[in-house]
Amino acid sequence: MWRVFLSAMSPVSHTASAPVLSLRGVSKHFGMTHALSEMTLDIFPGEVHAVVGENGAGKSTMIKIMTGIHAPSGGEVWIDGAAAVVNGPQEARRLGITAMYQEPMVFPDLDVAENIFISSTAEGWLHRPRDLHRRAEALLARIGMEVDVGELASQLTLAEQQAVEIARALSQNVRVLIMDEPTAALSAHEAALLRAVARRLASEGVAVIYISHRLEEIFEIATRVTVIRDGRHISTRPIQETATETMIAEMVNPLRGRHRLPQGQVFDSERDTHAVSSQTHAGRSKEEAGGEPLLKIENLGREARFRGVGFSLRRGEILCMAGLIGARRTDVALAIFGIAPADQGRIWFDGKRFAPRSARAAMEAGIAYITEDRRKLGLALPRSLRENITLATLDAFLAPFGMIDKARETEGAERLRGELNIRAPDVETQVGMLSGGNQQKTLLAKWLDRKPKLLIFDEPTRGIDVGAKAEVHELIRRFAAEGGAALVISSDLPEVLAMGDRILVMREGQVAGIVDRQEATQESIMTLATGAAEPIASDTEKAQ
Amino acid sequence: MNGALLDKIGPQTLRILALTVALTAVVLFFAGQIDNYLTGRMFNRLSSSVAIMALIAAGQTLVILTRNIDLSVGSAVGLTAFLTGSLITAHPDMPPALLIAFAVGCGAVLGVVNGLLVAYARIPAIIVTLATLALFRSVLVETAAGTSISAANLPAWLTSFPNADLFAVGDLQLRAGFVTAVAVIAAAHVAMARVRPLRRIYAVGSNPEAAEMAGINLRATVFLAFVLSGALAGLAGFMFLARFGNITVVAGLGFELKSVAAAVLGGVAIFGGVGLVLGAFIGALLVDIIDLSLVRWHLISEFWREAVLGALILAAVTTDALVMRRLNRIRNRRKARAMAARGGAIGGAL
Repeated sequence: MWRVFLSAMSPVSHTASAPVLSLRGVSKHFGMTHALSEMTLDIFPGEVHAVVGENGAGKSTMIKIMTGIHAPSGGEVWIDGAAAVVNGPQEARRLGITAMYQEPMVFPDLDVAENIFISSTAEGWLHRPRDLHRRAEALLARIGMEVDVGELASQLTLAEQQAVEIARALSQNVRVLIMDEPTAALSAHEAALLRAVARRLASEGVAVIYISHRLEEIFEIATRVTVIRDGRHISTRPIQETATETMIAEMVNPLRGRHRLPQGQVFDSERDTHAVSSQTHAGRSKEEAGGEPLLKIENLGREARFRGVGFSLRRGEILCMAGLIGARRTDVALAIFGIAPADQGRIWFDGKRFAPRSARAAMEAGIAYITEDRRKLGLALPRSLRENITLATLDAFLAPFGMIDKARETEGAERLRGELNIRAPDVETQVGMLSGGNQQKTLLAKWLDRKPKLLIFDEPTRGIDVGAKAEVHELIRRFAAEGGAALVISSDLPEVLAMGDRILVMREGQVAGIVDRQEATQESIMTLATGAAEPIASDTEKAQ
Repeated sequence: MNGALLDKIGPQTLRILALTVALTAVVLFFAGQIDNYLTGRMFNRLSSSVAIMALIAAGQTLVILTRNIDLSVGSAVGLTAFLTGSLITAHPDMPPALLIAFAVGCGAVLGVVNGLLVAYARIPAIIVTLATLALFRSVLVETAAGTSISAANLPAWLTSFPNADLFAVGDLQLRAGFVTAVAVIAAAHVAMARVRPLRRIYAVGSNPEAAEMAGINLRATVFLAFVLSGALAGLAGFMFLARFGNITVVAGLGFELKSVAAAVLGGVAIFGGVGLVLGAFIGALLVDIIDLSLVRWHLISEFWREAVLGALILAAVTTDALVMRRLNRIRNRRKARAMAARGGAIGGAL
């Protein structure tokens, strides 16, 4: 089995091949909602086929049909040139179709080797740890990942967990690997490694379907790009024959007119967009220059997490925190927000010494923290939009005897829904039913309503579509323009460069440097974040 | 704490070691408190009682590993013991192997009921097994219709089997019942480590969503855990019948809580995915030792026994959680240091 698999993986020529997987006029509806309409798509061995589209465009439904989680309502799935019925993920794996998602699907309590082989059907009845370890090592070496195969998966980094998933797919003779936003939660360095793995698999004849919101990475790895919108196939083009503007224009429905920003401003021209609003920022910075910073931090540390962190943040300023995963940016945020208090150093907030021991203390002082994990920590997904929006401000809707005045609550929720342009039929819609972008705006609505002085936003646009991303950016800028201070943690470099008045780069629990936006480039930030060079002259040094 | 040693022995082995230490400490404590404690008689009583509880705890472990719980085991033990007793009373010439097979099958059928409702009808296990706890007991009461199984009507081979001593040192006897239970536990422990379909029980409890995505048959795995738990409860029912001979409608009452306590004390994570059958066995030993010792401990009145047992369980679990958290922290720190020395989380083969 093992040897057969190795020879099957040897490089093949891509030219003479027939599609390994095709959708032929596939439709899927859930009740009245048409998630996919007449989708036709051919996937060839050896290609990296990028699929782009806004959230809700039908990408997830498409994956679920390819992996047999959903049966199509109409049309056919073809495998190797013949119509096939894919009955569930088990069957899909047997046919060589595997999907992996942003959140790696690993078993935290099993070791790496067992994680890779647990569902393999070619193993017989006996579990042979030593044999599995040896083979797991070989598989991981093939994709260039160095992971201790005896380690429990719970001890791995996100990137290592994804490597385990890829190795699992390889062990099952994968022919179509669907990667759904695989790099969304990875640091830039890890994302680059993962893309290299995807390319390598393609060169060995695997068809890679690559779904990403990061258009720049699509240009780096894809051979063809398909744009889908509203469940329909819009275009499929070789990567050389398309451009960012074309893709965005096709992704956004011109008739819908919901995007407040002109399309051109959405993506790579974001810096230019921001140049306009940054003029106002510059003016305000001068005004405030003499004033006390809203937040000032000195030598902050928490054992085994971070140390010596110092920076200041003025009203009206957006400070972006960049860094690789493991740089401990979120830990700093949690210390400021009082959830995991610092054990060294000092914080001043609003002119006073500030040492929050709980989130409540920080909230009362005027700090809001929006989590990077909105599904687990941010929102009550089964509850309504209204309940989620008003959760942090319920006191404002109290009627006598501690009851909630629902009419006023609904009114407040409706107002915020309008202000933040949350797309939902009404405020009683379950938040779990909304798209990622609208969930993120719901979270923002919930916290903005408390009128915080400082907003800490952890990965504000992770996994949300281009349109919603622009809207979230605009909301953060508006918040700053109205005198709030924003601390934005982001792994998305273009976003960091577009949003931040200053950019603080962290590495391994320490501040690697603080760079003014005018001086910052993707390269200079990455240099600081990876420690590839000594920190260049920066605010930190000037300040010290 | 020697860190290098920590790297070699995994958290599971460590837990077993810690449990063994705790077990020894408990025994030594009572030996200091109670006169004539460390005797063969005490061991004999303990081993006879553990022979039953360990089997139930092993079954409970399989179910807890899948993130479920089986509260019906006590009723399953009682019902199986009664049905098996009725059968042998009616047909005294039945071969022993057939009778054991009947008991195990009987328990497995009860497990099928739980498994179908939990895995396939998707009703939460706590609801299903709370209902079957009452249901199986009612079936027992209805079947018994006021009668009970009497030891006098059972064949001699059956009632003498658990107490037959295979090996004796003075008072201390190694009895057949205990040896059988230990053999079954050992087999279950090894099977859970080495049989792939059973490894999937760990996978399912560790991350059900990932199991589904990886193509593991989630429902079949959960179903299997319940059937095996039922079968083990059935075997425990047979042992119960053989040990006590007299079976009334209250047979096995309260075993569900003791089995959950044994599993949890034995380091089986109540949120699934982590735990060893061997751990549950030591847990059962602990529960039974504490229970038997408290009876003889004059400082504690009869009425406080349950409370002391409960408090000890809480204390054990709390200490365990704190110690394990601390050990994991040490491990992680060592790993981070090793990684920094190696120069990054992922290698540069690319």
